[in-house]
Amino acid sequence: MHTIFHLDLDAFFVSVERVLDPSLEGKPVIVGGDPEGRGVVSTCSYEARKFGLHSAMPIRQAYKLCPQGIYLRGHFSEYIHYSKAVKKILEEYAPLIEQSSIDEYYIDFTGCEKIYGDFPKFALFLQNEIKEKLSLPCSIGIGSNKTIAKIGSDFKKPMGVTYVAPGDEKKFLSPLPVEKMPGVGKVTLKELQSRGIYTVGDIAKLPQDYFATDFGKSGLDLWRKANGEGTEFLTIKREQKSISKETTYSEDVVDKKLLEDTLFNLTSKVAQTLRDNNFMASTIGIKLRYSDFQTIERAKTIRPTDDDKVIYETVVDLFRKAFTRRVAVRLIGVHLTKFANFAEQGYLFESEDEKRKKLLKAVNIVRSKYGFGSVQLGSLKEAD
Amino acid sequence: MEFNVNSKVLEKLLSKIIPAIPNRTPMPILENFLFEISDNQLTVSATDLEIALKASINVTADENIKMVIPAKLLFDIIRSLGDAQIHFQTEVNAKLIMKTETGTYNLSYSYPDEFPTVPVVPKDNLISINGALLKKSIDQTSFAMSKEDMRPAMTGALLEFSEDGLRFVATDGHRLVKYINKSIKSDALEQYIIPERAITVLSKLLTDSDVKIHLSKTYVSFHIDDLEFISRLIGEKYPAYSSVIPLENENQMKLKTADLLSAIKRMMLFSSANSKQVRFTISENLLEVSAEDVDHGSSAKETIICDYAGVPIVIGFNTAYVNDVLSHFEAKEIIFFLQSATKACIIEPSEQAANEDLMMLLMPVRINN
Repeated sequence: MHTIFHLDLDAFFVSVERVLDPSLEGKPVIVGGDPEGRGVVSTCSYEARKFGLHSAMPIRQAYKLCPQGIYLRGHFSEYIHYSKAVKKILEEYAPLIEQSSIDEYYIDFTGCEKIYGDFPKFALFLQNEIKEKLSLPCSIGIGSNKTIAKIGSDFKKPMGVTYVAPGDEKKFLSPLPVEKMPGVGKVTLKELQSRGIYTVGDIAKLPQDYFATDFGKSGLDLWRKANGEGTEFLTIKREQKSISKETTYSEDVVDKKLLEDTLFNLTSKVAQTLRDNNFMASTIGIKLRYSDFQTIERAKTIRPTDDDKVIYETVVDLFRKAFTRRVAVRLIGVHLTKFANFAEQGYLFESEDEKRKKLLKAVNIVRSKYGFGSVQLGSLKEAD
Repeated sequence: MEFNVNSKVLEKLLSKIIPAIPNRTPMPILENFLFEISDNQLTVSATDLEIALKASINVTADENIKMVIPAKLLFDIIRSLGDAQIHFQTEVNAKLIMKTETGTYNLSYSYPDEFPTVPVVPKDNLISINGALLKKSIDQTSFAMSKEDMRPAMTGALLEFSEDGLRFVATDGHRLVKYINKSIKSDALEQYIIPERAITVLSKLLTDSDVKIHLSKTYVSFHIDDLEFISRLIGEKYPAYSSVIPLENENQMKLKTADLLSAIKRMMLFSSANSKQVRFTISENLLEVSAEDVDHGSSAKETIICDYAGVPIVIGFNTAYVNDVLSHFEAKEIIFFLQSATKACIIEPSEQAANEDLMMLLMPVRINN
């Protein structure tokens, strides 16, 4: 029997804003964007929720409902900082942690009862630790699997602790409305309600086959979860050994220019992932599959880099040497391996590189705030 | 057409030309020798489009001819004949027949129409240099050439004429070698970048005799005895290497080259395969070198006596680079000029040889504690 905690930071972005500016305490605070603009609500305080606001609501609509609210753009780097700080506290106590988003953590405390004693009491202790050290409120759900723990943390908020004892899963879930189940969105909800299914208990009572036939794999999953089953194992990130990205064309392509453009886009993506992980790659490879399924892979080892320009130049060089047949291409991909952590070996001719490093750093920051598509590097073919 | 030649003589000629035959090429014609017989002179040439080799011997032939002969097959057969008189004879349908006392060997030749023309380097810009000296200059610097083609200029060796002498420079960005031959001075500053392949081949061809070098914007030719060696030059700008050579490295560490080199060879066994890092802990008159492989739980350290009066410095290097650099010093004693753990370190012989100026530069590895 596993014991999984799900810790969810309450109104996380708002809570951080309140740490930064305590005068926001007790007021309806909305983090999202310009109330005149087109953004949506990222997080709103419990005071704001009383006005009917919720996350993902268009910010203009929120403004109409709650014009007296305080609208903030948010401090993303601060959120990341606090998110890491919470993880650090948890690491002092937990043997296994899976951070599933910026404000959610699954913690596996299986077999720790002798150390920490009564789990609900221990959850209160953790909650208090985080509140005291970081002034951040959180709710914790405890269950025998991840689903129960997650539903549990949402059951009583803010600053709630919900313990579902082993064997009580069905009893706990049964009265809950179906939309409390992870994976039940608007569409599924409507579909379920049209069949007279309103509570999780309604799902659990029906035969498994009913869901399997009508909703496919996700239906089966839903039925299992409604019956108290769920994943007991955390997904722990293993050491990444390679980064690759490939595209299969909807129609085979023979145009060299178009293929190189695709490689350019793929390179941007893998290079960004590389930088996000603080890696440098030294082996750069391409994959080329012709329409007759002949597949060619070529790779080259260079000085470790995380620069789009260097990677793309290598990629194109490999591609031009490998693309020798006048046959259309079905699939094309870029592959990076042999990671080195940040270059320890000094380099003599740094001036130009330094400039590019700064540029790429700026790109990282913009992309971390506004998404990958917000900045594109111009084509590097003519650049030098 | 017919002529006679001794197999030893021909083998000697072909062995000089064969380095220009490419190992792998999309142009099969390049896997051939070009034989030109003109006025009783046999000239053999070969090229891989980057370098070309050309040499001649005298033969007695009854007419002039140009033919393209499979290089490997011809060279292997001639080499295996030992010392024999060979009679060459062409027949219709591009057949070449070679006869010795006991054997007959037939092979097909082709016509030279498709064989690329070996470029002619204008003879005006001439310098003459002793072959052994040139070989020394090349061997002492070329190891530092870059193996990555990201910066094509750095994949070659720089030949630079200057007021203080003929400079040879090679760098891959992690280490740099500058060797000046002071006996060849020039008023104008001129730069030529010789590709790696040419450098490698040239080093093997050089003898003690003088070499005549002709340079143009795009090609260089070397005349070594009766052999002409032509190479394309890299048409790029060489990085501004002078500006990265630090001037303010005032901490000097003098020690015996052999002492450090042998210690480094042992450190190579203990440094981790990944970082290859070796740590130099330098204090008054004492150098401690140490390496550690965390993955295998092994480590080593040695102390070496040196002359040092500067501030204590802890600096990391890549063992392979230190080994490369040190093994290219002939001097018994060398001096490290240091500034800090992150700045380039200069290494020079404690006494420069006559008419020479040798400097090596090594970028450190950041030590993470």
